[in-house]
Amino acid sequence: PFLKALLFELRLLDDNKDFVESRDSCSHINKTSVYGLVIGGGELWPVVAFLKNNMIYACVPLVEQTLSPHPPLISISGISQSFELLFGIQDFLFLGQKNDTELNTKLNQLPDLFLQACPFGTLLDANLQNSLDSINFASVPHPQKQPAWRVGTYKGKPQVSISITEKVKSMQYDKQDIADTWQVVGAVTCKCDLEGNMPNVTISLSLPTNGSPLQDILVHPCVTSLDSAILTSSSIDTMDDSAFSGPYKFPFTPPLESFNLCYYTSQVPVPPILGFYQMKEEEIQVKITVNLKLHESVKNNFEFCEAHIPFYNRGPITHVECKVSFGQLEVFREKSLLVWIIGQKFPKSMEISLSGTVTFGAKSQEKQPFDEICIGGTAYLKLHFRILDYTLTGCYADQHSVQVFASGKPKISTHRKLISSDYYIWNSKAPAPVTYGSLL
Amino acid sequence: MGPPSRETWAQRLGAFRASPSAFMAGPEGEDLGRDLLIELRSEKLSEQTKVSLLALSLEYPAQLWPDAAAAEAAATSLLDTLVLLPPRPSALRRPLLLAATTVLAAGDALGPTSGASRRLLPLLLGLASGRDLGRGFGPASEQRPLQATACECLRELESCKPGLLGDCLGLLRRLLGQEGPVQPLSLLLALALRNALVIRAKAKAGLQGLLVAGDAPTPGGPWNWALAEEGGAHPQPQAPSWPAAEDEECGLAVLEPSPEEARELRAAVAQLLDSSYLLTPVAQAQLLWLLGWALRGLRGQPPVLFKPQLVRLLGTAQLALLHAVLALKAAFGEALFTAQDEALLLRRLTLAAQHPALPLPAHLFYLHCLLSFPENCPLGPAGEEAAPLLLGPRLGRSLLPSLLHDPMALLARLHLLCLLCAEDEEEEKGQGWSPQRYLGELLAGLRQRADLDGGPRALAALCFQASYLVVRCLATQPLVLTPLTHGLAELYRARPALAPHFVDLLDRVGPELGEPLRAVLRQEVVSRAGRDEALRWHLKILAKVADGNAPSATLGFLRAAAAHCTDWGLQQALLRVCRTLMRAGVREGLADLLQALARQLDDPDGRDHARLYYILLAHLAGPKLGVALGPSLAAPALTSSLVAENQGFAAVLMVQEAPAPIRLSVGPRRAAGPGPVLQLQVEVLEPVFSLELRFRVQGQLYAPLDAVHVPCLRPGRPCSPLLLPLQPRLPAPTQLSVRALYATPAGLTCHAHLPPVPVNFEDLFLPFPQAPDDGDKQGFFEELWDSCLPKGAESRLWCPLGPQGLEALVSRHLEPFVVVAQPPTSYHVAIRLPPDSRLLLRLEAAQAGGVPVALRTDHWAVLPLAGDYLRGLSATG
Repeated sequence: PFLKALLFELRLLDDNKDFVESRDSCSHINKTSVYGLVIGGGELWPVVAFLKNNMIYACVPLVEQTLSPHPPLISISGISQSFELLFGIQDFLFLGQKNDTELNTKLNQLPDLFLQACPFGTLLDANLQNSLDSINFASVPHPQKQPAWRVGTYKGKPQVSISITEKVKSMQYDKQDIADTWQVVGAVTCKCDLEGNMPNVTISLSLPTNGSPLQDILVHPCVTSLDSAILTSSSIDTMDDSAFSGPYKFPFTPPLESFNLCYYTSQVPVPPILGFYQMKEEEIQVKITVNLKLHESVKNNFEFCEAHIPFYNRGPITHVECKVSFGQLEVFREKSLLVWIIGQKFPKSMEISLSGTVTFGAKSQEKQPFDEICIGGTAYLKLHFRILDYTLTGCYADQHSVQVFASGKPKISTHRKLISSDYYIWNSKAPAPVTYGSLL
Repeated sequence: MGPPSRETWAQRLGAFRASPSAFMAGPEGEDLGRDLLIELRSEKLSEQTKVSLLALSLEYPAQLWPDAAAAEAAATSLLDTLVLLPPRPSALRRPLLLAATTVLAAGDALGPTSGASRRLLPLLLGLASGRDLGRGFGPASEQRPLQATACECLRELESCKPGLLGDCLGLLRRLLGQEGPVQPLSLLLALALRNALVIRAKAKAGLQGLLVAGDAPTPGGPWNWALAEEGGAHPQPQAPSWPAAEDEECGLAVLEPSPEEARELRAAVAQLLDSSYLLTPVAQAQLLWLLGWALRGLRGQPPVLFKPQLVRLLGTAQLALLHAVLALKAAFGEALFTAQDEALLLRRLTLAAQHPALPLPAHLFYLHCLLSFPENCPLGPAGEEAAPLLLGPRLGRSLLPSLLHDPMALLARLHLLCLLCAEDEEEEKGQGWSPQRYLGELLAGLRQRADLDGGPRALAALCFQASYLVVRCLATQPLVLTPLTHGLAELYRARPALAPHFVDLLDRVGPELGEPLRAVLRQEVVSRAGRDEALRWHLKILAKVADGNAPSATLGFLRAAAAHCTDWGLQQALLRVCRTLMRAGVREGLADLLQALARQLDDPDGRDHARLYYILLAHLAGPKLGVALGPSLAAPALTSSLVAENQGFAAVLMVQEAPAPIRLSVGPRRAAGPGPVLQLQVEVLEPVFSLELRFRVQGQLYAPLDAVHVPCLRPGRPCSPLLLPLQPRLPAPTQLSVRALYATPAGLTCHAHLPPVPVNFEDLFLPFPQAPDDGDKQGFFEELWDSCLPKGAESRLWCPLGPQGLEALVSRHLEPFVVVAQPPTSYHVAIRLPPDSRLLLRLEAAQAGGVPVALRTDHWAVLPLAGDYLRGLSATG
């Protein structure tokens, strides 16, 4: 009954067709991942639950207050603990997971892990990998004054690896009254193999002179102190022009495993690839024109670069007549998708184009891709690309600026890459969804 | 049967886990707990199997050992097993400790009288303090993990019996300062400290050196239960309510620690906070919550102690840590967070609520935190979601919803936008940015998506949820509501299949949107030609929105639609609209339509239905009709809706048996007129309408009586007496049985039996039409007197007189019938008894005690009645 109620609430049951008041009523508004489930005439509340990677994560936290009326969620400490546990399970199951067998093994380990991580229902560590390690480390003598999140010790050659991954997203409209938007989201991942109980490390991120300042910085809990400039640099209100531009220092004691030292966002002056997409509907066929231009400041050496042009809420593609100035075009008829493979480099001119017509067959329900946004002329093309050893902000971790207070001189390696994520170019001949940022 | 093998255990555990309660109720249930304890000592089972057995006892202690005695025995057995383990590394020690603790705590066996408790507590404390407990407790390498486990166990016991470790605070502090495992000790100390403070405060006692007393109970010595028992005497919810209730603060304020004690407490808290960095994030969060609760409102404990941690915590993305900071904010308010700090916290929250690196559930929770933010100076009423004052439009704008968001994020952000709009209304317009306009465009986008043919139900639900949210927040803004109303009407025009959502919305919104939306929807529907595929949706909407306005258009639509209502469902829907119109008081034209339907519909059920409605409409007055149609129907019957509906009508249209709220009494006699008339007084206890009183004479002594009708009676308002003419067939007394039929204010028709009304002999008395007014009265009497014989009968009797004498008696009872009077001694009385008898009395020569009466009648059966009557006169006074 619990599962059924949960599936119903998450809209995962099949009988989704008809209006059901207890789920579809306009006053049934849920704004958090916390639900009240009607089970056997009573209500089970709060149930923290969400869906991720085709798995439902759910847990019922302890509420220490009186339950009626429901206290606000913010006042229940168990809510955030539940989230941490569920996020922890999710990380444990999916980080570095390769196949289903491995997933099943990990699922089978969960009961033992819970015994370790929350013996009496109180969560001791949301990092389940740590709990697993601590079961295995049980016979190793524990040193004193060691962080609870640093289980065991490392023995071996000291080395520090720092990799900066930037994802760039963009919404381009090619319209007078709507501004294009783009944003860089960075993540700095570290793996520090250092001996000692509490080695201290300081990593500095630097920017070149014309680099874009890092904003919205969130750090890993192992970071011991933060410059107030790092804390206040935010993308929401860039009030002062003299934005803090580094170096960004992060002193910390590293956990043993690989971890995300910090996340940041940044606003670079131009998007790496600027383009437009024009699509016009003419009965059963559409006419499309695409133009893409790589900005000159961007490293023209891709691991790959592709433009995906999907056609939603239409029949299957029956005929394509398109010309590309560069690269090659692949057609996925049943998926109603065109993929323009641009390859490793843009040509000298930095500008490439595609134009032609696409014809569609009759629409048969269910088979063709459905989308709730791409209605009528509203359509997009999505860019997928990756550039190694490059960041759009210019952000880098200088090997010489990494300070390590531990025995032995560590080998320090750094990596950088830029990946596209949600890089959309909308059809400029039809309405497109806008976020607030585009209206200014 | 030999000892169960590993496989049989696996089977048994599988069966148990599948349904613990069913298994325990079954034949094997009783033995499971016992067998489990025995098996733990078996040498045949592997450690792995034993661990899984222990895991079971951790998960289901209450099922395995349901009462305190069983739990006590089980815990003892577990402890014995622990002691008997060989001195080599074993994976069993930790789960055994956990299991013993769980069993004691869950079985409610923990207490000073429990032997197992007396063994377990010193053992745990010994392990926790790293004391060497001898070889029985495993190799040194296992000491460290066991130390941590012991702390966890103690923490569990402390949280079950607050105050249990009240004596050990000093010891725990020392251990934390030395080499102990930081996390378990910190959490244990924080919990014990919090509980001790709360208990001392409740008992209005001081700290009494609680924090420095360092001597742990000596091994083997008695455990000090005093504080725990004090704690048990004041049970309380573990967490204070939020936002901070004042009385809660007073709770701790009564603790007035001496400067010395305050310093010690500060030192203890600082010690905990300084090492908090070493805890896992979730444990850090627990520590902060505990300390926040512990120190709130305590004098001499500046919350500034927390300040050094804040910058570090604010920088992280960890949900639990930011949440803990919010808890501190709620606990200490301005004392810990200046206005600038509050602004910074809000900025970090805003940032976290949309940071691309964080998962959606975290975003949603941060949005919730923003809407319930514990402000330093809250303006609005407590407990309502509101946009924090310092959030300001700039931060707020960064959280605006867009169609690209997940539905839950969209709703949360939309709520914030609505709150901003509500504020914006008060401020002057300008700066070119209008949240209302943005809101309008967003809603339009949502409607467009809901309009998508074949789109999932969730999209439609989202659109209506958003509309509902907007109406709830911005009910007073016509600038928002007008376009919303028209937008919804357009949506209906495009996709009538959303009718259930519209009906639901109309049910929930107030009149601000409800009234205009009803009007436009009605307009929308009736302007259609009633024959498209969406007819059933149109009828569904119309059943909701039809009212007395413009009935002719509605009726026109229905007439046109009737031809296309070919199946039962549609006909019922059509009739439901008729019903709505009937309730709304529409009569003109509706009767014609119903009559037409009663002929025209092909389904017999539909025809019956229409005819029933027609009959109701034709025969019931407006209010009664409203009541008849009023009670909402039960679930429609599968066979015939008429049956179902009849059940609904039955209550209204059928007569109900009820205890009467009516009292009838007989009023003073009225001896006049051609026949006897009974005067009835009616009183009611509640308003009664259309009262009909029906009388029946017992025996056939009288002619049948007509019913009496009273239109309306109200309590406390006397009505004029009811006159009930009697037509006796014999001059004899009788009883009238009475039944009442009436309507209640609720419109029900009721039927009641009233107590019978007696008709007495004297109620039949009538005077003779006086012969000559002035003439020979004596002669007239004598003539009557003589005429009685020989057919009649004569008698003499003694009529006793009361103290008043004859004159009073006559004037009281016989006045109208006196023909000749010579007060105070002689009276001649002539009484006419319907139908055609007479009774003549001569009362002459009264003496002190009575009067001799000579009586004659022309009907012999009257004599005994008259005798009884006369003899009873003096008794009635």
